[in-house]
Amino acid sequence: MKALFLGNVAADTANGIKAELSPELQVDIIADPKELSPETAASADILVTNIWRADYPVAPRVRLVQSVATGIEWIEQGALPRGVPICNAYGHETAIAEYVLMVMLVWSHRFREIESDFRLQSSWRPSWVHSGAPHGEIRGSTLGIIGLGRVGQEVARRAAAFGCHVLAANRSPREAGDGVERIYPLTALDEMLPLCDTVAICTAFGPETERLIDARRLGLMKRSALLVNIARGAIIDEDALYAALRDGTIGGAAIDVWWQYPNAAEPERRPSKHPFHELPNVIMTPHCSGWTAGMVRRRWDEVADNINRFVRGEPLINIVTTS
Amino acid sequence: MKTLFLGGLAARVAPRILGKMTEKLDTSVLAELTDMQRLMPALAEAEIVVGHIWRSDFPEAPRLKLLQAATAGVDMIDLPSLPRGITLCNVFGHEPAIAEYVLMTMLALTHRLVDTMTAFRGGSWAAHQPAGGSAHGEMLGKTIGIIGYGRIGREVAKRAVSFGCKVIAANRSPVADKGDASEIYPLAELDRMLPQCDVLLIAAGLGPETRGLIDARRLALMKPTALLINIGRAAIVDEEALYRALSGHQIGGAALDVWWQHWSPEYPDRRPSQFPFHELSNVLMTPHCSGFTEGTADRRWGDLAANLDRFVRGEDLNNVVMIT
Repeated sequence: MKALFLGNVAADTANGIKAELSPELQVDIIADPKELSPETAASADILVTNIWRADYPVAPRVRLVQSVATGIEWIEQGALPRGVPICNAYGHETAIAEYVLMVMLVWSHRFREIESDFRLQSSWRPSWVHSGAPHGEIRGSTLGIIGLGRVGQEVARRAAAFGCHVLAANRSPREAGDGVERIYPLTALDEMLPLCDTVAICTAFGPETERLIDARRLGLMKRSALLVNIARGAIIDEDALYAALRDGTIGGAAIDVWWQYPNAAEPERRPSKHPFHELPNVIMTPHCSGWTAGMVRRRWDEVADNINRFVRGEPLINIVTTS
Repeated sequence: MKTLFLGGLAARVAPRILGKMTEKLDTSVLAELTDMQRLMPALAEAEIVVGHIWRSDFPEAPRLKLLQAATAGVDMIDLPSLPRGITLCNVFGHEPAIAEYVLMTMLALTHRLVDTMTAFRGGSWAAHQPAGGSAHGEMLGKTIGIIGYGRIGREVAKRAVSFGCKVIAANRSPVADKGDASEIYPLAELDRMLPQCDVLLIAAGLGPETRGLIDARRLALMKPTALLINIGRAAIVDEEALYRALSGHQIGGAALDVWWQHWSPEYPDRRPSQFPFHELSNVLMTPHCSGFTEGTADRRWGDLAANLDRFVRGEDLNNVVMIT
């Protein structure tokens, strides 16, 4: 049996998991898809990649597509044989959950202002013995999670340990529990939004979630609310969010995912057509919330586990869809 | 009952405390501790003093029965010069807020949040994976060692285990209920705990056993990647040794909320240390405010008011530190 690891990320994965793979498996590693020959493509039983396009050589023997990413939007399913399971990989959920709690804390404790005023100007104003205004805490606040998948569940568990009230809105019905007090259907999102001190977007991108958070829904949120997005930029209406943050319709935002990304021609491309970087009430990071050394190892382990399951004829994990 | 709110902090919060009381007090307020002309008659008749400072040069307080500290720490109260037979109580309510601060700073240091955020605001995608950025750290699987396993330490432990951290602690007195910690060391065996810690949290009070506890030798026992978080008291850590360990990268980083030098009215912008901690990029620094939240104020002044009510009614008091 033969596995083809295609693309940069898959090539790294192959090197990281070689020792874990079943010895009867042959491995081809092609880091640059332009160098994929028709012979190599034709002999692959397993395709490990995050990208597959219709203009690649055909791969008629493939019986498993194992993505090395969570999102499979770059894999053209029509260019694969029919009936092939497409599996993805996780491992990022705990790192992202840590990020969500971190930005909630940084926001409510006014940490950025307090830290930088103390460092740069030696300002003791927020101190006990001074007469400064106290800051906030997340204990007792209400967190609404949109999308109670793997990331959302990890966020819920941690937030509950802080004494937060956790609500969630999810596409498919689910039972409350494991830290979540109440679950709304996604169609009842408008009921949940006005209750939340923090809204955390943890859902996948798709037709039901594209521009889910628009000007009308931002208007339903508390004026003090924090909006956290670690999912995909396009779930939020870019113009509406910029206006809401600038005008104080909501309190602030912590954004890790964007509407624009850099490319070779523009390595310092701004992440939005609007100057979010000029707003004081935005915590912004360059799509790195899940990018930890631990995540890489966990993801590799999941990929290796699934390939070995396939070789041994055991049931697969993380099946997203079938081509 | 004659009650004196003494010192700037007590003077400022007196209205809020009195607003939460059910019993009536005969109150006076004196913010300025060096005003001997007013301090002498006020202390001569006070039965209750609310404040967090007692100096050895204070005039006599012959009628004093209760000294209710307005803080958790009583290290600014000169115990030998208190009148005999009085009850000293303190207040808490800050432990959830400080526990949040501890988790926040360990996450921010581990995820390199401040550097990443600052660079990205300036236009740099350096922390983005496809741009070649290096991975940051995470708390999952890390070991947190807590010095002083009291109320704050327990609140930290509860939250840290939800992140998949292992919690160990060192405490002066034996601990009956381990809570969320997996192992408790006697403080005398601290040196066995230090090499295991990815994060060392100082949550102890200042006393003879803890003053100067973390010195150059103990800092050298820590992992080169370890983070030190101090929300206890600055004097528990040797100032110069910590500065050298951080500037020389013998440990990974620090988050400091308590300091060796403080603000004063004459010197409002005073630097918090004789060493330039503010120039170090592996330090997060805040001006002794980790517990100063609206929630703490509600819990703390409510608890303090309830204790004064109990005293007036002759009931048992909460949070008794000692009877002199």
